[in-house]
Amino acid sequence: MVTEVKAELVGNLWKIVVELGQVVEEDDTLMILESMKMEIPITAPTGGTVTDILVSEGEVVQEGQIVAVIE
Amino acid sequence: MSTGSDTPSLDELTAALGEKRARSLAMGGEERIAQQHARHKLTARERIDLLFDTGTFVELGLLAHQHSMTGAVTEPERTPADGVVTGEGLIDGRRVYCAAYDFTVMAGSMGMIGEQKVARLRRKSMLNRLPMIWLLDSAGARIQEAAGSTFAGSGALFFEQVQMSGVVPQVAAMLGPCAAGTAYIPGLADFVPMVKDTSSMSLGGARLVRAATGEETTDHDMGGSQVHCYISGVGDLEMDDDPACIAAVRTYLTFMPSNNREAPPRRETADRRDRRIDDMEKIVPANPRAVYDMRKVLTRLADDGDVFEVKPTFARNIITAFVRFNGRSAGVVANQPMIKGGALDIDAADKAARFIWLCDAFNIPLVFLQDVPGFIVGTEVEKQGIIRHGAKMLYAVSEATVPKVTVVLRKAYGAGYFVMCGRGYEPDTLVAWPTAEISVMGPEGAVDIIFTKQIAAADDPAAARAEYAAAVRQTIDPFIAASWAMVDDIIDPADTRRVIIDALEGAETKRQRRAWRKHGVPPV
Repeated sequence: MVTEVKAELVGNLWKIVVELGQVVEEDDTLMILESMKMEIPITAPTGGTVTDILVSEGEVVQEGQIVAVIE
Repeated sequence: MSTGSDTPSLDELTAALGEKRARSLAMGGEERIAQQHARHKLTARERIDLLFDTGTFVELGLLAHQHSMTGAVTEPERTPADGVVTGEGLIDGRRVYCAAYDFTVMAGSMGMIGEQKVARLRRKSMLNRLPMIWLLDSAGARIQEAAGSTFAGSGALFFEQVQMSGVVPQVAAMLGPCAAGTAYIPGLADFVPMVKDTSSMSLGGARLVRAATGEETTDHDMGGSQVHCYISGVGDLEMDDDPACIAAVRTYLTFMPSNNREAPPRRETADRRDRRIDDMEKIVPANPRAVYDMRKVLTRLADDGDVFEVKPTFARNIITAFVRFNGRSAGVVANQPMIKGGALDIDAADKAARFIWLCDAFNIPLVFLQDVPGFIVGTEVEKQGIIRHGAKMLYAVSEATVPKVTVVLRKAYGAGYFVMCGRGYEPDTLVAWPTAEISVMGPEGAVDIIFTKQIAAADDPAAARAEYAAAVRQTIDPFIAASWAMVDDIIDPADTRRVIIDALEGAETKRQRRAWRKHGVPPV
């Protein structure tokens, strides 16, 4: 099953803490968004393997933008 | 006085009554009851048994049933109780009215006689100022009785619900479908728990949708709890099955008075009023940019760790929950840094405003736990109408005259500080932790506006910006607010429970009267 990970609000993508191919558990932090004076984790909606990372550090992401894919 | 020999005796009449009652109590018959159970649903009468204190339910209208359009022929076999069990009984010793739609009788469709029965309950609910509960499992209006332009005379049920709003508690438990206009019953109710998978609500059922627009969907896809408890916000709580959903109704009512003229019931607790919370610093990180789970804070503050969250899966960036402080009901509005950093958006404002109005209507004091970086800004939220939704929350918190207590844990920025009952919104007590940051905006945002020219003219703009930001940061300090007497006190986080209880008890005799008006014009 393919799950798209989306940013829940607009912000600056500060850090990517996972690597392609990494196995993650549900709720693991994948990336950290800098927005509204906060470091907001983007977490895995489900467990699986990170098969795609669609953003890079320093990029501004929009609400609802797909930032990674987990299979 | 003599009677003819063909007149039945009292015994015979009583036996006939027993037969009629038994026929009605059998609902739609064994086959339909088996189908109901196969759908993982209880029958209306099983639900009533779970809802009320044992043996307290008194039924009204058991012997009612559908009548033909001409009124000449009756159809008792087809519609026992006309598809809705109505009556009154006790929940935790307090009287409430209940209409339980019976899906085994014509799919729980709302017929004319059944609706008269429910109308009678609504009237009693208002006359006696006692709560009204709907257990919904209904295909909607019985079109056989409602089709055509006699529809012109219908609709008073919603009008009546609006009159009841804020006078008596209204609960609509979703235990099956609730299609078509009848979805406004939960739409107008105060509290709407939904059973996962089996319940749904939508203004038009799937068949009507197909006829009206051509869209193909199902009642579940369109209006199940996965939609209403997560996305639309119409549902308050997703429960696993009928017993859990009915238990949630009972729990909800423990926080509520019977009407708007009473105080909520008290529940004695062995939890000490001055219990200190020694692990707050482990929960709330020192780094002001780091997130944490506000639910952990709330669980530690409340009596016995008991927290009844409303809409826990909708707009999770704000928490709305009923708890007790030293035995008294309180409604808590708390920012949730774990989700969207605790920043407010349209759904969070909407959820909080409705909850504040609910608590205020029923004399339930409000406690605000602030850790809010502000309202989310930008093009997307403006399209969504963040101004009017934010204004709605301002409106609700300003209108509320119940005791209000505000604790600033960490961030209290901009309008976020206002809507979370900052100083201007008449909190009876406003305290801050030493970690509090109360300001119109963060240091970085402020310097970009205040020192634009100076930064641009500097030899090293980045260094200049950092220097100015550090200077501004010095001015964000709760002790400054305390020194100007703008907050009542700076408290040891470990004492937060005692401080809240002191504040609530101190405001118990509060009476607030505002200028007369017919009503305000609230933004929605």
